[in-house]
Amino acid sequence: MTERAIHTQGLTKRFGSFIAVDDLDLDVDEGTVVSLLGPNGAGKTTTVRMLATLIAPDAGEAQVAGYDVVRDAARVRERISLTGQFAALDKHLTARENLILMARLRGRSGRAARAVADELLARFDGIEFRDRLVKQLSGGERRRVDLAAGLIDRPHVLVLDEPTTGLDPRSRQVVWSTIRELVDDGVTLLLTTQYLDEADALSDRVVLIDHGREVAAGTPAALKAQVGQQRVDVVAADAAGFEQLRAVLEGRFDTTPLEQLRTVSVAAPDETADLEQVAGAVRAAGIAVDEIALRRPTLDDAFLALTGHPVQPGSAETADVTDPQEVAA
Amino acid sequence: MTAIAARPAPAAPPSSGGPVRFLRDTALLTGRSLRAIPRVPERLLDVTIQPIVFILLFLYVFGSAIHVHGISYKDYLFPGILGQSLAFGVIGAGTATASDMTEGVIDRFRSMPVSRLSIISGEVMGQVCEQLLGLVITVAFGLALGWDPHVTLVHGVELVGLVGLGMLAFTWCGVLVGMLVRSPDAVQGMGFIVILPLTFMAGTFVPISGMDAIPRAIAQWDPISALVATVRSLTSGVHTGGSWQLDHPELAMVGWCLLLMAVCVPLALRRFSRAVAA
Repeated sequence: MTERAIHTQGLTKRFGSFIAVDDLDLDVDEGTVVSLLGPNGAGKTTTVRMLATLIAPDAGEAQVAGYDVVRDAARVRERISLTGQFAALDKHLTARENLILMARLRGRSGRAARAVADELLARFDGIEFRDRLVKQLSGGERRRVDLAAGLIDRPHVLVLDEPTTGLDPRSRQVVWSTIRELVDDGVTLLLTTQYLDEADALSDRVVLIDHGREVAAGTPAALKAQVGQQRVDVVAADAAGFEQLRAVLEGRFDTTPLEQLRTVSVAAPDETADLEQVAGAVRAAGIAVDEIALRRPTLDDAFLALTGHPVQPGSAETADVTDPQEVAA
Repeated sequence: MTAIAARPAPAAPPSSGGPVRFLRDTALLTGRSLRAIPRVPERLLDVTIQPIVFILLFLYVFGSAIHVHGISYKDYLFPGILGQSLAFGVIGAGTATASDMTEGVIDRFRSMPVSRLSIISGEVMGQVCEQLLGLVITVAFGLALGWDPHVTLVHGVELVGLVGLGMLAFTWCGVLVGMLVRSPDAVQGMGFIVILPLTFMAGTFVPISGMDAIPRAIAQWDPISALVATVRSLTSGVHTGGSWQLDHPELAMVGWCLLLMAVCVPLALRRFSRAVAA
């Protein structure tokens, strides 16, 4: 039998009449990375907060490393490390002071705490801002300190709640590469995200949730196969250009013309290689175009493909009103 | 293998139990609150400017119209101001708690193997230190303006102990309020509507004997009255009297403080443990 790092059964949480998490069964095997993928208000944050013992479930059960989150909350807290969606740091302390405080609260002596703080700051490229107050750090810097704080004791289970939401692309890359290193170390990781590409890039298994329920689950490859591939969209400058585009691209590529949008959409299984070829063909023919862009499937595409309906725009607002954490946090 | 993988967890896994661990964590978390004092000086201004404004207003604006039998107005006023400052601790602690609870860092602490009582105690101790600092500044200001309290050594020790107890009790009360109300602005508003009038009806600035029947009845049993009467009797030897509790201010004050803590500490802890931090 495979060890389960996280196991939930029928997990349910209500806020008033709003059901944030609805009868959710979730399993994360030891040493694997699972992404909880869903739109705002899908119940991702509520789920991880229940796992981290911050709120109690209304029904069902959840175990972390074999310990029940309600009955054995103290043991769960020793084994799980949650890095929330918003920096869980004291903004009036410096980056280094924060890490030292967390390390000491985890039972280290002053000297050992300083050592681990410095080691983590070096690892997260934080030496240059280590003595700056957290409130003066950029979003990306703060997130790096936040991640570092989650790794003071190598946690049994690491939970990252939307680790890259709101980050600029460069910080996003730093966070991704950090996560990849952790994964190489064999950390068990539960990750929540709104980005399909993030779930794809980082995880072994993706669980798509909406309205607190699992709507699909599988490996990233399996989900992507269902969602469809990447495409290069070429937008012509005018109607005449559109006809020229069709003439040039049809036959050479696997195309779908979208006349209303003056767009020829080309299947691009080889991503940038296809992009170059298409762009080259368009340039060679001398057709005036407004845009040539590689379009990756988004969460919206995934929802449409897997559930048959788009992300419901109402769900996020409903959640924001009724779920106090997600508003305040 | 990287450094992270190689680093072992501490030999003895940290547990949230044990009094030593509790005291250590509380001290660490108090230290965290204290570091914020010089970095957010406006919070300290709150606890010093307000009493100074009241001192100046009552000493030099309203004071000439207030005559209290058997005591100079300065000796009458300063104990009142100190009592009021302690009572305002409810608002200060409530505001700080309400805003702290919205900070992600509290969630981090709550998901760590740290006892929840330590987390709130650290918060309370930080608040108490901040208020103590404010109180020292207020007293120094009073002495500079010519307040001349007559305090024997025994009374001095008693005064420090009772003021400390009062501060602790009012701060715990404020922490509970901050957790229940959850918005700093709402705490401020409530403080203005509830605490401010209560501090005025506590024989703080004028004797309660001249008040209308209803405020007088409130003043006779207002815990802040007991506080003010205690400080006044210990610094000037004058007993104001007017009700059982004002005839026995020190006993009444200890009783009120213990009662407040007996109610507020468990409720705040319960609220915090269940709490949906928002």
